[in-house]
Amino acid sequence: MPPADAAILPFGDDAVLADLRQPAGIRAARRAQALARAIGALRAGDPRLGAPVPGAASVLVPFDPSATDTGEVTRLLAPLLAALPADPPPPSDAREHVILVRYGGEDGPDLAGVATATGLGEDEVIDLHAGTTYEVLFLGFGPGFAYLGELPDALALPRLATPRTRVPGGSVAIADRLTAAYPATSPGGWRLLGRTDVALFDPAVDPPVLLRPGDRVRFTPR
Amino acid sequence: MSGGGPCLEVHEPGLLATVQDGGRPGLGALGITRGGAADPDALAVANLLLGNVPDAAALELTLAGAIVGARRAVTLSLAGADLGARVHETGRAVSTGSTFHLAQGETLAFEGGVPPERGRRAGCRAYLALPGGIDVPGVLGGRGTALGAGFGGVEGRALRAGDVLAAEADDALAAAAHRPGTHWTSTMPSLDDVPLRVLPGPHVGLLGAGTLAALAATRWTVAQASDRIGLRLSGDPLPGARPQELASHGVLAGTVQVPSDGRPIVLLVDHQPTGGYPVVAVVIAADRASLGQLSPGDAVAFLIVDEAAARAAAKDLHAAREAALAALHEAAAWDALWHGAGG
Repeated sequence: MPPADAAILPFGDDAVLADLRQPAGIRAARRAQALARAIGALRAGDPRLGAPVPGAASVLVPFDPSATDTGEVTRLLAPLLAALPADPPPPSDAREHVILVRYGGEDGPDLAGVATATGLGEDEVIDLHAGTTYEVLFLGFGPGFAYLGELPDALALPRLATPRTRVPGGSVAIADRLTAAYPATSPGGWRLLGRTDVALFDPAVDPPVLLRPGDRVRFTPR
Repeated sequence: MSGGGPCLEVHEPGLLATVQDGGRPGLGALGITRGGAADPDALAVANLLLGNVPDAAALELTLAGAIVGARRAVTLSLAGADLGARVHETGRAVSTGSTFHLAQGETLAFEGGVPPERGRRAGCRAYLALPGGIDVPGVLGGRGTALGAGFGGVEGRALRAGDVLAAEADDALAAAAHRPGTHWTSTMPSLDDVPLRVLPGPHVGLLGAGTLAALAATRWTVAQASDRIGLRLSGDPLPGARPQELASHGVLAGTVQVPSDGRPIVLLVDHQPTGGYPVVAVVIAADRASLGQLSPGDAVAFLIVDEAAARAAAKDLHAAREAALAALHEAAAWDALWHGAGG
């Protein structure tokens, strides 16, 4: 049986959502990744299951509706959820990345605003952001966009009330207890502290994304 | 298979023209969405008419304005919405769900705005298939255009005037499979003007049962800000909408989200792989192709069904396609016999 707080929820006729029902953060993300790995292993011998998509505190599991159904997939996944450790380690193949960032100026148009809103100096904001080692919690938003946690509480600010229609690719940004680097130019509502030249997504490279779930990331001013 | 070489030139892309195929499943964990044809059923019909695999890369055209020219004599097929396709030089109308021939130098124009039959919706996307599929490089297991991330298709972008598309195969393959003038015999369900069938979503408990009931009781209209990423619906806001987002979770095309303003968003093929809005319902797999034919101003209604009904709908869709395909093969066999007898 899954723990009383976790649940496997129906998600249409060809997927279920394994919801860990715990607050988002490094522990929840590690559990979601561990569950996704376990489902990946099960999937190797059961082609009825699709590739799992881990989120902040959940895993979406697609399945082939012509071969199975919600009830059967729920029964397949329940033992994996029940066996999920409370605090699993990051994956053994996790890597470490150091990403050089040009903070402030045109590259980080929100640095001054973040300093004002947090009551810190701009240098202190940079020191706090660059002084923390982050973990890749999950990917989403766009190809190679890694949600990194956890940002120091002193820097936690909500998203911009009005998102920008154009955030330049490479922008390093914060929102709530998260930070990320935008792999490509896109709209976005996070506060921009700086910019990097590192390629975060390249469809011609295997794997196409630089940052993968469980990887550790530090930002360094250049 | 011998390549078909350059055969179609884009003179005008119209509102939006892209190369699309069956998409890139299984990459959500890398932040890469499935993408592909917005109406995969219509893509499959266009391809099957030419003897291609159902998810081969084809041209996805939107609403009106596209004009393409034949660089060489070529057999093509058209499926999906009736966008008023006409051979410019001869004035000959090309019906959706058929194969046809373009002589070298002829142009096919999509004039748009064809009133649908009763009980059908006008639709907004048509698929033009080339022999063997469109010859563009495979990227991450697909040939379709990922517009947001800028890869796949032709240089990762929407097509523009002057682009030239090559076919994977020469005409011999298509000609052997089905001759010009072949028609798809069944109607395309994605164009039926019927309610979208949904299953209750994972967050009904969180939102309250009243939210799901209101979704099904409300007449919705597709709002202007709708595209291949999602359909925004206007109508009386749903009760139970929450000011805060949830922790981000994986989503699929067909997901019906409830943002804080209570006006639902139905995700389409180019959706982000994760989202934080509560999910009130999910459109059943058999009805998702219909989402790709809805355009701003269209009326939308939802019907709550159960998983058994969803399963039956998927079986019906599969059976209808198999029957139409069998009819196509039978027609081709008779055709070959007829021509053989005369030759």
